Amino acid sequence: MKYAQLIRLLVGRELTLRYKRSVIGIGWTLLNPMLTSFVLWVVFSFVFASKLPGNQQYAPYLMAGILLNTFFNQGLMQSAESIASNGGVLTKIYVPPQIFAISAALAGLVNFFIGLIPLAIVVFISGQTLAWTLPLVLVVGICLAFLTAGLGLALSIMFIRFDDTRNIVNVLLMILMYLTPIFYPVSVMNETMQNIIRWNPLTSYLEIFRWAFSNNAFPSSRDWIFMIVTSLFSLWLGTYVFKKYWPRTVAML
Amino acid sequence: MAVIDVKNVNVTYRVLMNKSGSLKELFRDAIKGKARVIDYVALQDVSFTVDKGEVVAILGRNGAGKSTLLKVLAGVLPPTKGTSKVDGKIAPMIELGAGFHPEMTGAENVLFYSALMGREVKHVRERTPAIGEWAGVSDHMDFPLRTFSSGMVARLAFATATDEQAEVLLVDEVLSVGDADFQEKSKARMHELITSGAAVVLVSHDMRAVLELATKAVWLENGHVKMIGNPAEVVAAYEAN
Repeated sequence: MKYAQLIRLLVGRELTLRYKRSVIGIGWTLLNPMLTSFVLWVVFSFVFASKLPGNQQYAPYLMAGILLNTFFNQGLMQSAESIASNGGVLTKIYVPPQIFAISAALAGLVNFFIGLIPLAIVVFISGQTLAWTLPLVLVVGICLAFLTAGLGLALSIMFIRFDDTRNIVNVLLMILMYLTPIFYPVSVMNETMQNIIRWNPLTSYLEIFRWAFSNNAFPSSRDWIFMIVTSLFSLWLGTYVFKKYWPRTVAML
Repeated sequence: MAVIDVKNVNVTYRVLMNKSGSLKELFRDAIKGKARVIDYVALQDVSFTVDKGEVVAILGRNGAGKSTLLKVLAGVLPPTKGTSKVDGKIAPMIELGAGFHPEMTGAENVLFYSALMGREVKHVRERTPAIGEWAGVSDHMDFPLRTFSSGMVARLAFATATDEQAEVLLVDEVLSVGDADFQEKSKARMHELITSGAAVVLVSHDMRAVLELATKAVWLENGHVKMIGNPAEVVAAYEAN
């Protein structure tokens, strides 16, 4: 593909720039999820650890949730923001603007994969082993990258047109986070809440990820369908919305 | 075959009256029936062609639509009506240094800027030292761009942008940059690029440069073509206006 080299540069830039001025640089990509997980583990392990089914461990359960949520949140915000923040380029040089949103989602994917290393360590510390289904994590990652890039593309149009979309999206993301079983087991909720949580697509992604990585969940075939359908639909929706509204939106940059 | 073929191009910006930059305000105005959209016509029925080796100068006052026209030619702004066809690789010399990032090093910026313009990364890597040398910033190439002076940034941007010959050159007032010495050097290189056989569209307020370089001139006024033809005649008419 003609733009492959540009995407590579953009992903690299996205990964290194965030920690450019820090001493350990990209090492923060490893440290961040570990520290966040540790804090939440200290806070919540007393409450929730005993609520998990027998062979599941809370520490890797929690950390998997955090990795996936970070990927989705950061990836979505950055890919939605990327087109507005590269407006200076996009109004002067022709490159398909979608490249910026896709690169941001891919950078999230790379971060996610890097985060699997500390997660594996936590799995071993908790006395678990990696599941033989591990390669399926790749599928989860790619599906989530599609979901992120698609939603990001659609949102990027809104971000340029209306300043307050950012705040609305931030609130929605927070609600979504609490509706995803990141730090709690689904079983602690009452029936109504469980149903709502089950309708959140991110729950399916997360369940499959936990199961594929170290058997910390029992996803159903419904979860698989949910994941694949939402990721492809979101990618289609994003590219469609973007194509349709970009010609009128570029004039506002 | 013309390299650039612009046919009946219209560009209309939709401007929201009392520009509500927020959903809340838009919603409120829409309920009160106050959200009014007006169409601002930036270009109206503009047609011209540029052949290989031709240098077309675009004249016109501020707000006449020159920059909009360059954006249409660069392919970043789709025309509302009409077509704009450009064959070949475009080098847009419009506000040089688009995409430069202060936290990245000089060399990284050169690479990224070149990739944006569609150049081969491998080739650019080899060229980077020469680009730095030409810009006179060789010693700084491995430091972040924020440590550069603004003149150094401008020189590096110019050196990068003009490093490769493209089939189509879009020039917006960047005939020279930097201090006196570098201005001479950059002016010479720009002239060399313009006269080397590419199809060139040149926006300039410098009538001397237009007369010297252009082979054709287009005079834009309020978005439409007021006059098109021989540079000497068009410039004379434009200046008499």
